[in-house]
Amino acid sequence: MRAFAFAWRSLARQPARTVLALLGIAAVGALLFDMLLLSRGLVVSFSELLEETGFDVRVTATDSMPVTGPMILDAAAAARALEGLPEVEQASPLRVARAEARVEGGEPIELTLMGLGSNSRDLWTVVAGAPLPSETGWVVINDRLARELAVAPGDTLSLWDAGAPGSVATPAIDLRVAGIAEFAFDTRLERTAAVRLSDLSAVCALERAVAADVLLVASAAGSGPEQTVEAIRRLRPDLHAFSNVQLVNRFRAHDFSYFRQISVVLTTVTLSFAFLLITSLLTVSVNQRFAEVAALRAIGFSRARVVADLFCQSVLLVGGGGLVAIPLGAALAVWLDGILKSMAHIPVNLHFFVFQPRALVLHVALLGLVGMLAALYPIYLAARLPIAATLRNEVVS
Amino acid sequence: MSRPIVEARGLVKFFPMRAGPVTALNDVSLRVEAGDYVAIAGPSGCGKSTLLHLLGCVETPTAGSLYFDGRDVAALPDSERSRLRLLGIGFVFQRFFLLPMLTAWENVELPQAEAGVAARPRRRRTAELLDYVGLSARAQHRPAQLSGGEMQRVAIARALANRPRLLLADEPTGELDAATGEQIADLLDRVNADGNSLVVVTHNAGLAARATRRITMRDGRLAEAATGVIR
Repeated sequence: MRAFAFAWRSLARQPARTVLALLGIAAVGALLFDMLLLSRGLVVSFSELLEETGFDVRVTATDSMPVTGPMILDAAAAARALEGLPEVEQASPLRVARAEARVEGGEPIELTLMGLGSNSRDLWTVVAGAPLPSETGWVVINDRLARELAVAPGDTLSLWDAGAPGSVATPAIDLRVAGIAEFAFDTRLERTAAVRLSDLSAVCALERAVAADVLLVASAAGSGPEQTVEAIRRLRPDLHAFSNVQLVNRFRAHDFSYFRQISVVLTTVTLSFAFLLITSLLTVSVNQRFAEVAALRAIGFSRARVVADLFCQSVLLVGGGGLVAIPLGAALAVWLDGILKSMAHIPVNLHFFVFQPRALVLHVALLGLVGMLAALYPIYLAARLPIAATLRNEVVS
Repeated sequence: MSRPIVEARGLVKFFPMRAGPVTALNDVSLRVEAGDYVAIAGPSGCGKSTLLHLLGCVETPTAGSLYFDGRDVAALPDSERSRLRLLGIGFVFQRFFLLPMLTAWENVELPQAEAGVAARPRRRRTAELLDYVGLSARAQHRPAQLSGGEMQRVAIARALANRPRLLLADEPTGELDAATGEQIADLLDRVNADGNSLVVVTHNAGLAARATRRITMRDGRLAEAATGVIR
């Protein structure tokens, strides 16, 4: 009988204990899997959201994060200059402002207003109506705003600058709703609208109609984002260009590092639990089978064979528990993700737990390693078992 | 004179204890020839089982030497001693020590599989042995479904599985009632009559009386040989 078959029969001999052991390992394994998903989930999700926009390079006035620092004052000229680079397919200025909107007879509602260059590709996905036309006089709004204003594509709404308290009110301008869209970075409570940059300048009565918070750049085919970043830096050393990867890395180093640290700590704790659980189970099993192990050794089973038997038991327990852990962990991840995403200021499309093949490989490798380490002590006990003394003690007891 | 299956020369075994070492065996010499049926008797604690364990290569002597088929057992590495036990020695224990998760058939197959015997001859040998011990009909039963006598029969079949040179039995009737013990004693007689060498440690005078050589131990020494000399 091969070691695996023998180990299987040993485990099947006490089905209740084996099932409990498998469930214990599955529970610990599920937590481990979730921690691995969490450790990079935000980064991966954030990266996917950035990629979804179709722009792979972002250019700002300073090295602060986009939309949080000073504006690029000559955005239109800068965009034109960047589009002259062979590495750049498109450069589009983006400006974000606070505004208010109202339909006739309705209450004003505050919203985030995005202004995009007229040639820009969309930063959103239209779910009803039409895309934002390149000419002025149109607006695309998100579903929440559409519901609250009770407007549909084709309706007209008035927009004006929300302004700072005490600022001079600007006249409202009327825009027609082209479509309802999903914005990648919208939070659950966000009300968002997008217009052409010149409409945003009109709404907000901007003196510097050419300024933008960020220039969104799409690399030309055959040119990677890193090459594009280098070309932009050479052309405009006064501006700060980041590829999506560089931006994500900055987030990872600062804003997302908490999740990574929490994940590392919880992963370590989870692995320690797994180690203790498996060691305890196998040690109890070996202790209960001392006489049996001694008898096997007496009838000629080698030390290596006894070790192989225990090792296979560990592999079966960890393998079985680890397999159950994956769907269990996935279900748990969906549930936890839902809880975390219910926080008000988290973008709806941002996920904390994101599946990646790397997480699965790590899960298998870490559980396998823990299974091997956990089997060491019981294996040591069984391998060093004094055969005659154990048989003698068994008869005496 | 033929080479003995096992030869012990001046075996000494101390067990370290807190109060000082306990001498379990003191200068024991013994030869077991092919076809021998040796019974070792004596009071509890006289060293019978220790001697059996030394003969079975599951214990190492503190002093003295042991030769199995002319090979110095002390010189063998652990893996070789395991191999020697697997192929050369059959063990029958007082408490049977059958593997509870395996059937009688599988318990008898186990040492053969470990020895690398191919499936077909293994099945043939297993069927032959279960028939030999009268348990063909119980082949698919697990130990928990067998009586004590049946378990000991399976244990004897297991011990014979790899056609060992020597069969060692430690109180083989110790857990059985008198009638069942007699049946096991009959079976051991038959095993010996079929050419197998046996060493049996027993308190059972009736079982000891069946042996062709009876050795009594006292205080770790061989006290007397009831039949012939202590070879």
